[in-house]
Amino acid sequence: MIWHYLIRRLFLLSFVFFALTCFAFSLGHLFPGDPLVNFSGISQPDDELMPVLVQQYRLDDGYLQQYIAFLQRILQGDWGLSLASQQPVLHELKLVFPATLELVAYALLISFVLGVPLGLLAAIKANHWSGRAISTIALLGYSLPIFWWALLMIMLFSIGLGWFPTSGRISVLYEIPAVTGFMLPDILLSGQTYWQAALQDAIRHLWLPAFVLATYPTTVMIRFTRDAMLNVWQQSYIKTARAKGLSRSQVLYRHGLRNAMLPVMRQLGLQFSTLVTLAMISELIFSWPGIGLWLLDSINQRNYPAIQGGLLVISSLVILVNILMDVLHTLFNPLARKQANG
Amino acid sequence: MAKFQWLHQKTEHGPLSQLWDSFRQQHAAVVGLMLFGFFSLIALFGPLLTPYDPYLQNPDALLLPPSWDDLGDVRYLLGTDDLGRDQLSRLIKGASYTFGIALVTAIGALLFGLLLGVLAGMSKGFRASAFNHVLDLALTIPSLLLAIIIVAILGPGLVNTIWAIMLALLPQFVHGIRNTILQQLEQEYVIAYRLDGANNWQILRYVILPNTWEQLTVLFSMALSTAILDIAALGFLGLGAQAPAAEWGLMVADALDLIYLSPWSIALPGLLIFIAVLSVNLVSDGLRTAVRKRQEN
Amino acid sequence: MPKPLIKGSLATALLVTLLAACQPDMPAEVRSGLVYCSEGSPESFNPQLVTSGTTIDATSRQLFDRLLDINAQNGEFKPALATHWERREDGLSYTFFLRPNVQFHHTDYFTPTRPLTSEDVRFSFERVMHSQHPFHNVSGGEYPYFQTVDWANRVVRIATPTDDQVVFYLRQRDSSFLSNLATDFAVIHSAEYAEQLLQQNQRQRLDSQPIGTGPFKFREYRKDVFIRYYRHNNYWGEPSQLEQLVFDIEPNNAKRMARLLTHECDIIAYPRMAELELISKRADVKVQQQTSMNVGFWAFNTSRAPFDNSKVRRALSMAINRDAILQAVYFDQAEAATSLLPPTSWGHNPTLLPVQYDPGQARTLLAEAGYPYGFNMTIWAMPIQRLYNPNATRMAEMMQADLARIGVRASIVTLEWNAFRRQLRQGDHDTVLLGWNADNTDPDNFFRPLLSCNGVESGTNRALWCDPAFDALLAQALLTDDQAIRRSYYWAAQQYLTEHLPLLPLAHAKRFQAVNQRVEGVGINPYGGIDLSTAFIRSDEDTP
Repeated sequence: MIWHYLIRRLFLLSFVFFALTCFAFSLGHLFPGDPLVNFSGISQPDDELMPVLVQQYRLDDGYLQQYIAFLQRILQGDWGLSLASQQPVLHELKLVFPATLELVAYALLISFVLGVPLGLLAAIKANHWSGRAISTIALLGYSLPIFWWALLMIMLFSIGLGWFPTSGRISVLYEIPAVTGFMLPDILLSGQTYWQAALQDAIRHLWLPAFVLATYPTTVMIRFTRDAMLNVWQQSYIKTARAKGLSRSQVLYRHGLRNAMLPVMRQLGLQFSTLVTLAMISELIFSWPGIGLWLLDSINQRNYPAIQGGLLVISSLVILVNILMDVLHTLFNPLARKQANG
Repeated sequence: MAKFQWLHQKTEHGPLSQLWDSFRQQHAAVVGLMLFGFFSLIALFGPLLTPYDPYLQNPDALLLPPSWDDLGDVRYLLGTDDLGRDQLSRLIKGASYTFGIALVTAIGALLFGLLLGVLAGMSKGFRASAFNHVLDLALTIPSLLLAIIIVAILGPGLVNTIWAIMLALLPQFVHGIRNTILQQLEQEYVIAYRLDGANNWQILRYVILPNTWEQLTVLFSMALSTAILDIAALGFLGLGAQAPAAEWGLMVADALDLIYLSPWSIALPGLLIFIAVLSVNLVSDGLRTAVRKRQEN
Repeated sequence: MPKPLIKGSLATALLVTLLAACQPDMPAEVRSGLVYCSEGSPESFNPQLVTSGTTIDATSRQLFDRLLDINAQNGEFKPALATHWERREDGLSYTFFLRPNVQFHHTDYFTPTRPLTSEDVRFSFERVMHSQHPFHNVSGGEYPYFQTVDWANRVVRIATPTDDQVVFYLRQRDSSFLSNLATDFAVIHSAEYAEQLLQQNQRQRLDSQPIGTGPFKFREYRKDVFIRYYRHNNYWGEPSQLEQLVFDIEPNNAKRMARLLTHECDIIAYPRMAELELISKRADVKVQQQTSMNVGFWAFNTSRAPFDNSKVRRALSMAINRDAILQAVYFDQAEAATSLLPPTSWGHNPTLLPVQYDPGQARTLLAEAGYPYGFNMTIWAMPIQRLYNPNATRMAEMMQADLARIGVRASIVTLEWNAFRRQLRQGDHDTVLLGWNADNTDPDNFFRPLLSCNGVESGTNRALWCDPAFDALLAQALLTDDQAIRRSYYWAAQQYLTEHLPLLPLAHAKRFQAVNQRVEGVGINPYGGIDLSTAFIRSDEDTP
């Protein structure tokens, strides 16, 4: 029953992935320049190499065969070379993608830790000045252009007060080999004698970008938690529970919160795409070496294979997150589960 | 077909004035609407009102601070940038870029989204399913990445990024409209009309669409705030508006080099973007509350 | 539940902030080092392949040595890898005596088994000269500086009679030969390393994982992020006091400046001229300046219409308000240029007058040339700050406005720096704002790359201008050692350029560097790339 649902979701998942790879493939032809260069990333293929590549990529055949060859290459791990560095795109992605994941993860963590309690408070004290203040601040935060906000924060906290550094993941003098790609685990794995200082330095570098990136999802959390909570509060089962004599907290936790979280989680899945865009802009301003900065450099360098690879990775991530949120939502929501089975 | 009345006769006012009443009671929303109107006016008529040509460079008046500062000049109310161009004029002109173009983009997305949403909602079976999943794909590509791809294909420039942002806004419209239509289709009065012999087109025109305009306005206001932020962000990144355009995001990027010498060059354009988005969000919130209140009655 | 939860999470957030805000000192076990914030990624780690200042700054004086160097104070040659040299009477051969016991870098990808010999010198130059050399076509096969000075034709043969003697045989007298050997491009590689790479079939690593004899050795490179060098402990000269040297790559001016102010960087390249006054008021950073041998210019693509018409070039030149540019872009920290050569060069012609700013006359000239209604054109502007041009996009905007006044509609093209140079090479531009930073004290170093026919092939001649009469003047100037005679040829060359205007010289800029107060031992060269081998950071105990 539930498995049918999951299998159906997987089928849809593969369909979306298929559409994604089609789109990525078409870019090789849509981007300006020679499709051979766009797919392979070799900036100056010499005369011996060219016919070999043309055959390998099936560029002389129809689009369908070309697409199949493309798909095979992708699955085998040959994502072409970066036009700028002539290194394999997949290799560069393995370095930059975890950096973005780390930043987004910490930002989401902050948004949960801050956003949910504040949203609850705003709902409970909806008519009190404290509740209204929280809602107002959330609205202000929701309207901020992130690049401006990041610049203001840097001007205040980095340059003005000198509390935090302006850029990077860690001071460049620390040598931390990239094992997982995530900075904090890599420091622990590095075995360097100065790992504690390195850890502290990395956290100092993480704080401002994570906080700036967390602004938007926190405000989303506050607003949706508040709305969902207010919605739930009106429901009859809450009134029943209160009539039964349960205290406010008990009602809140046992019935209200769980049911309020469902639409919040659903929203999160939808907002993840926006979060990725914001992460890319944050990476630019904080010179955080993640996939966003890498893609922005790539467009400036007209590095088409890199853009293709970045598209595959980022869209796959967003798809997975959406599916995950969908599944979680269905698992925890008895109503939706019924719909899924029926 | 006889005109029907789907509104139970408890009130004398039509739905529009009911909505307006509800809306009017929220002070914040009204302030937002006034600001919104202000920005729209500036976007339309501003370029005619600027004290100077926004592109005129005056080498004798470089980097003047705002007029209230000691070194400022009252002729240049908000100071000048490092090429001697009047900030006030550029900020006014910027409204037509950031705000005006965002409006155009959002309206475009609305129209296309309406069309596609109706098609998605009204069609059934495999076609609908396939179409929905293609749209889901568009949802999974973040708007900035979409803009990067379009810029890579077509080159940088304001017009190309308008397409990118429209594409990025489309899925939300289509989803929203489709869901509303599907919801509507399950209502009893629709079934009644079908039994009466109405075809799809008539149901659409007389029943469904009139009920969706509220949802549309809410969607539009949300899309507009996203559009403003996206246009400004793309201008900031150099992918959208190009120099010497006076788009607000681009002005922030230009002023980045002068961050220590004239922090107001960064603060002012960013502040305007913020206020513009805030005004739209206030209206949007007000509309949503008003719609909800009306539906509860 | 909600209240304690809320209080708890906010309290945690506050605690983490406080912890994070504490600034720890760098622990002792981290290798002591200096962070230099540079403006771009290097194109390669072999200076022979490039002319870009960014690449030279990052590599040449850090990783490599040359046969001889120029003493910055008096402009005379001083020994480097060669302890002394002799020139034959007829000027057709030079013999260099190499320093004994010079060690190459020992890294995790190469272990040298022998010190520097004449074989290494021969390998380094033959790779450039001989098209059949196994390494010639590796990494593109282009050696722009050497192509410009026509190295392959000037040098007939290189002989290695003993392990410590190298002889260069020239086709004819060349008074710029020693100057060319002292440039940042003429570096010495390890022939043993090349042999190893040949065996492993990894020849391109010679240019991406370099081995040299210089004060620092290559450790790690992350494109667009950083370069890490370790100290070369067996350096033949004075070893550096730094255990590591890191180039932190940041193309954005404001961010680079921010990193200096927050002490994330110890030295930054190309500080913004606008903020120099602000910096000099702070106690924790200081500004160094030096008159530098450079020129910023506006080059016309003379290979296409209408820029092949000298009247059009003159008209466009007269439309530009150079004084406004000097003020707005250079913040009055540069001199107006009347010629390519700066006044500090011994070849400079002081009798020349600058092009007059006269839009009316410009319009007339344009009409005479057949363009009474103007035309459309592009101005290519560099995205990053260079020595000779602190803000090319701003400059382009000003010129755009100036040109609009005479009816010419200009649009601005700008790309990422390396992509910019790549596309420029293809000659797609109408005009470009560029410049040149001298590599040595010889005037030939200015004219030959920028305006000779050889320069067109090698890509350094952005005006794509090839004029045999001009080339002849340059060639004559090399045939004699007599500076007075050479000077007369260069004066004639400059006069010729003023009449034809293939490019419009704009300004000679001062060179600036902003360093942390505690950084010592870094000077600025009037020419060539930076040298960080003598830099060190004063520890706090030394401060009086």
